[in-house]
Amino acid sequence: MSPSRAVALIVDDSAVNRKVLARHLESLDIASCEAENGREALEVLRSGGSDVGVVLLDIVMPEMDGYETLAAIKAHETLRHLPVIMISGVEELDSVVRCIEMGATDYLPKPFDPAILGARIRASLAGKRLHDLEVESAARQAELLHTIELQKEELSRFLSPQVAALVSSPEGAQLLAGHRRLATSVFCDLRGFTPFSEAAEPEEVLGVLREYHKAMGELIVEHGGTLEHFAGDGMMVFFNDPVRQDDHVERAVRMSLAMRDRFEELAAEWSRRGYVLGFGVGIDTGYATLGRIGFEGRYDYGMVGTAVIVASRLSSAATAGQILLSPQSHEYVRDLVEAEGVGEINLKGFSRPIAPVNVLRARPAAASGAGVAVASGASRSDVTA
Amino acid sequence: MNLDGAPVLDDAVLDELRDATGGDEEFIVDLVETYATEGAANLDGILAAAAAGDPASIVRPAHTLKSSSASLGAMRLSAIARTIEEAGRAGVSDGLAADAELARSTWVETLEAFVAAGLRR
Repeated sequence: MSPSRAVALIVDDSAVNRKVLARHLESLDIASCEAENGREALEVLRSGGSDVGVVLLDIVMPEMDGYETLAAIKAHETLRHLPVIMISGVEELDSVVRCIEMGATDYLPKPFDPAILGARIRASLAGKRLHDLEVESAARQAELLHTIELQKEELSRFLSPQVAALVSSPEGAQLLAGHRRLATSVFCDLRGFTPFSEAAEPEEVLGVLREYHKAMGELIVEHGGTLEHFAGDGMMVFFNDPVRQDDHVERAVRMSLAMRDRFEELAAEWSRRGYVLGFGVGIDTGYATLGRIGFEGRYDYGMVGTAVIVASRLSSAATAGQILLSPQSHEYVRDLVEAEGVGEINLKGFSRPIAPVNVLRARPAAASGAGVAVASGASRSDVTA
Repeated sequence: MNLDGAPVLDDAVLDELRDATGGDEEFIVDLVETYATEGAANLDGILAAAAAGDPASIVRPAHTLKSSSASLGAMRLSAIARTIEEAGRAGVSDGLAADAELARSTWVETLEAFVAAGLRR
């Protein structure tokens, strides 16, 4: 809105004064409209029909005087930013002070000096324009943020929420580039899935997988795990990256217990349909390299390290219902869970056997010595790869 | 009431108006016509309030007459209207009728002065 196209609303009960003022404004290339009193002025303003950029307001008027009008404008949600210039005789300065305290922008003394008139109206219009631009810019920014949120939401359908958030965070680039960190890896998959998928119809297999992924996905998110990938019935989840979690081992174990419980509910339903499936988990903790893995066109946010392989092998070694925890991981949560030894196991690719435990259940909170639990040390020993 | 130095019609104000309107005599004639109608109504308001001895309701018409008279250079009537407005605000009813009568006679003089100035037929 350029000053030359702005409309000034003249509010004065004297037709003579309105005409004189309108004529002055015309010579300043400012269009005007008129109202006889405050009530009429508010009707004009609320109808929003005209492009009023400034109100020139007389004080003494019938029906609704300048004070009431000013108060109504300043109390109105959108009109309150409209500049209001009081028109007053020089002997009414006390009233002007009161009006300025009520939010009037300025005052115009009568008789009008064209130069002062022009300067004050232009200054008010510039202020109004600035305000309108700010409002517009804030609206545009809100729209932009909304778009970004939508994109993040869309992205998080494909990525784990942590990785989706990482992509749009300032430290994201550095984390994506690769870093070393202590992390806990969880592998889980189904027992009996291969024979099931051979025997069942593809629709049934997909139906079972969908239920399984949905249930497990909710638990991964609930426990703050980062889902690296799922392939068929297998899933790999890790903790303490990209979001730091001092209790990463505890989270991994609690998620696995929750998954096992949830799986049993699903399996009960499936067994009524004649599907016999079991659930096994392997967990290990160790230093690993984390970041972007893959090739141009297809990258994953992944974890590479011995802990990943050990967790995978333990998951394969677990029988239905077992959560096999490596000795390293077990150290962190010894006070938090009840576990049983399962003897030494030789893992493929490892020269020495390891002695994992099978997690039976979480200890009740009171008996666990809550708070002692999980060491981290992760923040001290981070190395950028 | 001290009306010294308050001419019935101040040519300087009319000249400023001519300057501001680029010598648009027609505009000023139209303005005077508007003033004649509006001023008559305000004067009626003043006379009625004075007759009723009601200072509160004299304020608004006196204020408007003061203001519009000043816009057209009718300085004496503006000064009288101002005195009436102030008395009305102060709640003084003494002398209100006499002031209102002075306003009425000055109003007649003012309109005659506009005719003499060629601004009213």
